Amino acid sequence: MGPRCDLLKGKNRTCMNIIRTTRNQSAACLVDSTSISSSFSPFSSSISDQAVSDHDTVASETNLVGSLKNRLSYRQGTFASISSPSHWSGRCGFLKPEWCNLVSNGAQGVRFMGSQAALEPKTSDGLTVEGILSSHWPILDESESDWKSHAAAVAQSIHLIKKRLQWQKLVVRLGLLSAQVNKPDLWDDPVQAGKISREHGSIMGKMKEVRSLEHQLLEHIDMIKLARDENDNELESESIKALLQMRKDSKEKELQAMLSGEQDPCSCYLEVQAGAGGTESNDWAAMVMKMYKLWAQRRGYDVSVVDEMLGETAGIKRATIKVEGEYAFGYAKAEVGVHRLVRISPFDAAKRRHTSFAAVAVIPILGDGSSRVKINESELRIERFRSGGPGGQHANVTESAVKITHLPTGITATCQNERSQHRNKASAMAVVQSRLDQLELAREAQMNAQHTQSLTEIGWGNQIRTYVLHPYRMVKDLRTNYEVTDPDAVLEGDIDGFILSYLSASLDKDTDE
Amino acid sequence: MAAAAAALRRLSASCCSALTPPPLFLRPPTYPSTVSHIRKWKQWAKTLTPSVGSSFAALDNGPDATLLCRELNWLLDDVVVHQQDDTSLLPILDHPRQDDSQPVYLRASLDDLCLMWNQRIHQRRPFQYIVGCQHWRDLVLCVQEGVLIPRPETELIVDLVSDVIREHSDLKDGVWADLGTGSGALAIGIGRILANGGKVVATDLSPAAAAVASYNVQRYNLQDKIEIRQGSWFEPLKDCQQKLAGLVSNPPYIPSHHIAGLQAEVGMHEPRLALDGGSEGMDYLLHLCNEAASMLKPGGFFAFETNGKEHCQLLADYLSNGLKGSFSEIKIVSDFADIPRFVTGFRSVPK
Repeated sequence: MGPRCDLLKGKNRTCMNIIRTTRNQSAACLVDSTSISSSFSPFSSSISDQAVSDHDTVASETNLVGSLKNRLSYRQGTFASISSPSHWSGRCGFLKPEWCNLVSNGAQGVRFMGSQAALEPKTSDGLTVEGILSSHWPILDESESDWKSHAAAVAQSIHLIKKRLQWQKLVVRLGLLSAQVNKPDLWDDPVQAGKISREHGSIMGKMKEVRSLEHQLLEHIDMIKLARDENDNELESESIKALLQMRKDSKEKELQAMLSGEQDPCSCYLEVQAGAGGTESNDWAAMVMKMYKLWAQRRGYDVSVVDEMLGETAGIKRATIKVEGEYAFGYAKAEVGVHRLVRISPFDAAKRRHTSFAAVAVIPILGDGSSRVKINESELRIERFRSGGPGGQHANVTESAVKITHLPTGITATCQNERSQHRNKASAMAVVQSRLDQLELAREAQMNAQHTQSLTEIGWGNQIRTYVLHPYRMVKDLRTNYEVTDPDAVLEGDIDGFILSYLSASLDKDTDE
Repeated sequence: MAAAAAALRRLSASCCSALTPPPLFLRPPTYPSTVSHIRKWKQWAKTLTPSVGSSFAALDNGPDATLLCRELNWLLDDVVVHQQDDTSLLPILDHPRQDDSQPVYLRASLDDLCLMWNQRIHQRRPFQYIVGCQHWRDLVLCVQEGVLIPRPETELIVDLVSDVIREHSDLKDGVWADLGTGSGALAIGIGRILANGGKVVATDLSPAAAAVASYNVQRYNLQDKIEIRQGSWFEPLKDCQQKLAGLVSNPPYIPSHHIAGLQAEVGMHEPRLALDGGSEGMDYLLHLCNEAASMLKPGGFFAFETNGKEHCQLLADYLSNGLKGSFSEIKIVSDFADIPRFVTGFRSVPK
């Protein structure tokens, strides 16, 4: 939880943005639910053995639908089939006797309502998850015990998870598969049938998980409303607590959904290169690098400087750091591109306004498990980076920078921050390895044409963000229009808002494509 | 890793008496301080470096201000006890945070650190002597005045040996000799890549060097594999004639008339005994070549470090023509600065 918790702070804006972008899609989502219903109905009548495990979801879905007709039968569903938050288990005492009777009948209700299983889940008064999203309830801090805020946050997370899963495509696919599963001659070709059944099952599983989140959310809301109706304060606060827990859990799930790329969990190298413009640019590059060091520190990542080439007067011409920790690449990849600064330069005696640029590149460090490009030693040129003088016993050098060039690709890496040449070499070698791996991945991605979205184009990209310190103060991301008015905080490493809004926006893009 | 490091520290604590004063990174962290005090100290230390600028570099190829700043970081790295999670304090030092007043412990007082940094800047005492260690390959070798600080170029000899024993696996189990071992760098580097049956005998004329080498060998727990003998070149190796599987050396090779013009860190602080190679710098290299034939077993490997291109060519020529028939596959190998640095070859196998 630790580092991720920080991420949540200042996220309100992001969420609001996301809500804005998703508003137009709610209509489309309603269409989903009808197509689900058509795909589910044949399923429930021709259920095969392998899909038995899906029953519980169907059960919970059924119960929810049932609740539209009979609020009490819905209650029983809550306790019978949905994994209730653990603290509720000891609270059966508050159940009214008539509910308890119904609990025992719960399982039966499931079967006959199977055909309605896929209707959009709703609360007893007809509220849907989409409805929550489009009502724009403000999302406040977790510490505020406002249930609407919690509910909106959960709905938000569910929405993002659905986007990541490419929900609409899943629905269509499930419809096709269900039709096939339903054919009487399915098992004439057992191999094909097995394949279809497996895919059908796996898609069902994914959708089931999301649907159960939706049910859980709506049940919590129902419970809170019920508690209010009945003036049961204790139940109300328990329910809000449960909803808050759900908010935390689904935030976790949302992050997992956002960072589900194969390399996202990796550590990474982050490089900053000063643009043209001498001292002012070099100073800007150093500011950007400091921003990332502080950001990484906040998130609990280990940061080490691999390579650093200082500017003549101030700042850096170029630097590479290694950011180690879970999902370092997943987050940092959102920062790839050119960062622009507008300010009165402290290096300009005439106090004029200057614009400077710094480019950021991020390279994942693949784990040992991944297939890595094999490097042939004979294809490398290894040099002492800043050579000069006769060397050997003549010189006392504490610096033993090494530059490695991979001759076939021209990829180079230098390292000078380790205390021995051997380690500098190993460190530079690791950078070369990661660059080559990256190159190979990019090549493969290009071959899979569908994979050419911006996230995989890790390199010196286009301008992504502007930092204005004068005449006004603002940092604005050009890709998402996410902006803040406190550049100092951003430069102190508070960039999670930018990262998250970008990652969410990338998901939007995925679904659009 | 952490456990191994702790074990290493315990081990070295038990034999610390061998070195006085002990290297900075092995001293007990008994000096309480705070992040903000250390930061102030660092700021002061940094103010001494701009005055240096590139004047040392222009004078005798010495360190410039950038390099001194890096050394400053390393000095703090050795002296500040890392936090429990083992993350370095250094990033915190550069970026003020709220926990500035948190207590940290130092292995030397800030006053001592002032003294050390003044020595570094004003007397140009080598950084490695100040902290008492040199990072070499993946080793941390303790060094002190009287012992040559192992050079980065020399690291490559271990790679050369590693390549050779991969192709000639019989050499992996043999006895290797490192002559003029100094801090024991080559002996330890090679000792760690030999098979269980392999052994290294390392000699040095200087008692100070022999003591430091023994200390380093023990710190890496290699005393069963590496034997340090005090004495001149082959003299302590009478029992190894015709038996050596390998022979390596980084002997003194600087021509006597160059000593006066050396970089201050080297000329004023390192032992002349480990640097001065006679009028042409070849005295000891030639001695090594002359004796090598009688010490190496047939098929045995040798690698010597030299002063550069001229030495390499002279030596290679001497080995193939002057000592005709004794050696085969004589090669000149360059270092990473592309300077011909090493001469390698094998003792000929009689037909």
